[in-house]
Amino acid sequence: MFSTNGNNTPRIGFYVCHCGHNIASLVDVEEVRKYVATLPGVVVSRDYKYMCSDPGQELIQQDIKENKLNRIVVASCSPLLHEHTFRVATEKAGLNPYFFHMVNIRENVSWVLDNREIATEKSKDLARAAIRRVFFHKPLEKKTVPINPAVLIVGGGIAGIQAALTIANAGKKVYLVERDATIGGHMAMFDKTFPTLDCAACILTPKMSAVKSHPNITLWTYSEVEKIDGFVGDYHVKVKRKPRYVIEDLCVGCMDCIEACIYKEAKYPDEFNQGLSKRKPIYIPFPQATPMVVLFDPETCIDFKSHRCKKTCIEACDRDAIDLKQVATYENINVGTVILSTGFQTYDAKLSPQYGYGKFPNVYTSLEVERLVNASGPTGGEVITRDGKRPKSVGIIHCVGSRDEKSHKWCSRVCCMYSLKLAHLIKEHTGAEVYNFYIDMRTPGKGYEEFYDKLMNEGVHFVRGRVAEVTDWAIIPEEEQKLTIRVEDTLIGVVRRIPVDMVVLAVGMEPKDDASEIRRLFNISCSNEGFFLERHPKLAPVNTFTDGIFIAGACQGPRDIPDTVAQAGAAAAECLSLISAGSIELEPNTASIIEKYCSGCKSCIPLCPYTAISFKEDIKKAYINEALCKGCGTCVAACPSGSILQNLFEDDQIFSEIDGLLKFAGIEPEKKEVLHA
Amino acid sequence: MDTTIDVKAFAPSGATNGYRDIHRKIKYESELNKGFKNRVAELSHGEKLYSCIQCGTCSAACPVSHYMDYTPRKIIQMVREGFKSEVLSSSTVWLCASCYACTQECPKGIKITDVMYALKREAISGGIYPKRFPSAVLAGSFFKQVLSFGRNSEGPLLLKMYMKTNPLMLFKNMKLGFKLWKTGRLSLKTEKTCKKGDLKKLLSDIDKQREEVTL
Repeated sequence: MFSTNGNNTPRIGFYVCHCGHNIASLVDVEEVRKYVATLPGVVVSRDYKYMCSDPGQELIQQDIKENKLNRIVVASCSPLLHEHTFRVATEKAGLNPYFFHMVNIRENVSWVLDNREIATEKSKDLARAAIRRVFFHKPLEKKTVPINPAVLIVGGGIAGIQAALTIANAGKKVYLVERDATIGGHMAMFDKTFPTLDCAACILTPKMSAVKSHPNITLWTYSEVEKIDGFVGDYHVKVKRKPRYVIEDLCVGCMDCIEACIYKEAKYPDEFNQGLSKRKPIYIPFPQATPMVVLFDPETCIDFKSHRCKKTCIEACDRDAIDLKQVATYENINVGTVILSTGFQTYDAKLSPQYGYGKFPNVYTSLEVERLVNASGPTGGEVITRDGKRPKSVGIIHCVGSRDEKSHKWCSRVCCMYSLKLAHLIKEHTGAEVYNFYIDMRTPGKGYEEFYDKLMNEGVHFVRGRVAEVTDWAIIPEEEQKLTIRVEDTLIGVVRRIPVDMVVLAVGMEPKDDASEIRRLFNISCSNEGFFLERHPKLAPVNTFTDGIFIAGACQGPRDIPDTVAQAGAAAAECLSLISAGSIELEPNTASIIEKYCSGCKSCIPLCPYTAISFKEDIKKAYINEALCKGCGTCVAACPSGSILQNLFEDDQIFSEIDGLLKFAGIEPEKKEVLHA
Repeated sequence: MDTTIDVKAFAPSGATNGYRDIHRKIKYESELNKGFKNRVAELSHGEKLYSCIQCGTCSAACPVSHYMDYTPRKIIQMVREGFKSEVLSSSTVWLCASCYACTQECPKGIKITDVMYALKREAISGGIYPKRFPSAVLAGSFFKQVLSFGRNSEGPLLLKMYMKTNPLMLFKNMKLGFKLWKTGRLSLKTEKTCKKGDLKKLLSDIDKQREEVTL
């Protein structure tokens, strides 16, 4: 009558869980138990208060041994919660864990229904479907793949640095790939860090040099990941090392070449100082750059344009480190796990024209002001506006490019705190009246609210209201030669015009322009706003949906330095956990090709979201890499010849489950058998 | 800087009802008094008012805030931002019943009632308080009476208050006053201490000491 896929006749044990009152209060569990006992193949049917408890699990194990059960069905909560628990329990009793099947009568029944009779009926239907399904279950074996202990970290900001050091200190090999000429990321640009006001460089640069000198870390700056394939435990990565026209191993960073450049004056905007100072075509990003190696900017160097430069730089270099004919080189590495810490970019303030950024010289972005207050910045730490004056009043506008349907909906989380910090630093440097214009003050963090209180006591003005415009149109004499901020003070209920000498725009954080390309390269997902998507926002915050690829820092969403460092540590721990285990078990619910039927039409290949399917040219058949397959079933549904099988979701399993679910099939067990046969 | 626009000029002829004068309400920084918050903070030993997070607990706890033109929360923000003339001419400080509910509830420990007292003193010394407002008059008369006689006498105080604010009320409440007088609850006699100059001397000594401290 039934195909049982083996010599053993199904002997099913059924267990319905009360889940305290969660299920039993709405489902008549006794009736479900009694009903299931009448179904064919069921040898044992029980109900128990908490199936997931130790006694509950022992009940199953005991029954397997005493009643020689070979199929187990538990009707309780979501498989997400306890499928693993019961599979382990089944396995412990000597039965293949894939002979176990779970029915969710909590989330799908008792929590969503309000009628006891209907709930009980639905529970019976679901239980019957499961009983019918397990007839066709097969024993499956988990596959294990070994983990290569090397780790690739992409992005050398504070997240990448922290993760690299953690893993390297554990004795594992790390490849740190950074796109820019130096590591350090945004943190290297900051002057102080909130709320403790430690100097950012003082706490970051020791870590940067530790990365450079660590024997377990291979640091590749000015490099990008070109290609990655493989799967958890065995990724093959191709890294492109862009030419800096200076041989990294020979350069000692003496900067004689920069001195000798035929440009006597620095002429081109310095990226690190946000264009507030100038650099030459040959330069070092900033004094503590790591590695301390100069690089050429081919866009501005005369020799790259006309080939008629005297090349005084080459003459000046006594180590012959300059090679203007350098080309990109490629490195191929094998790693087991990857951490993406590619960071963020700040919102382009020009996109909010009402604030006049780019129009009025004295409107600054927060990152520019970070450089301005920094002792090694373009003005040596003097807060001087672009027209050479020391401001007597400064307005800081919060939420520029945040909490705005026209730009970004989200709160960038760090702007309130860095605005407070900048307010403090500006007041300290200039003694100016400082105004903060905010929508809500968001200071959640250790010592953050206290910092806000400190700022209020320093006499900084806090005006609650989103600024409508920054204008140079003076209405009264006091506003002449100033930038006037028009805002509603919503706490008092009046519209105010406040003339200031300098405006600071607290720009928000957004995903990098090329985040979606990185996402595709590494085969992970992005959330709506474009930040990398974590597997679970609470319980798997650094995991992605691709095994072995982890995310850390602001590439996952706006966050501050403490959170970034914590996340980097978490990502490092995830990598080390895989490395330490040595191998990883893969769920066997994967798909496989029945080569006999495969026509080689290739329609499954582009559909696979995990790029697990390839084409075997020699035999003209598709091939599924089980290590990459996540068992989503897309290819199974799409295959026109039905030649793809998915473990745990084979046709007879699904059809008999549907049969069992359909009302007509279960009214009377005898009739049902006839119908099914 | 307030300009009043005569809207009646724009109204259809004869139809003046329902048209109220429209005031320009924008606030220019030059109209604000930047030193005001420091002055108030010193007076009320209330430097804590800088810490106000504008939660509004004070206004919600206040039993009379719904009669005030500015709630206590607003008053604190206006003090901080230098809205001196608005604050001193507001009814808020004079409606404050000194019940201390706001001070009790304030999450930042601001002594709001003390701030209100400070504002009353500022208003009186600056001469910009509502002249016929009962509580302002009562406070002024009470203080003067105690200062000169050393004691408070309710009968004369009431008489003074009614005469200065609303003499009609005196006739209205005369019946009640008579009853109170008959049962000995109200006296028209002015009470005095034996050495009535002592209190004045005591207060002026305290003022002197305080000035020395602040200097």
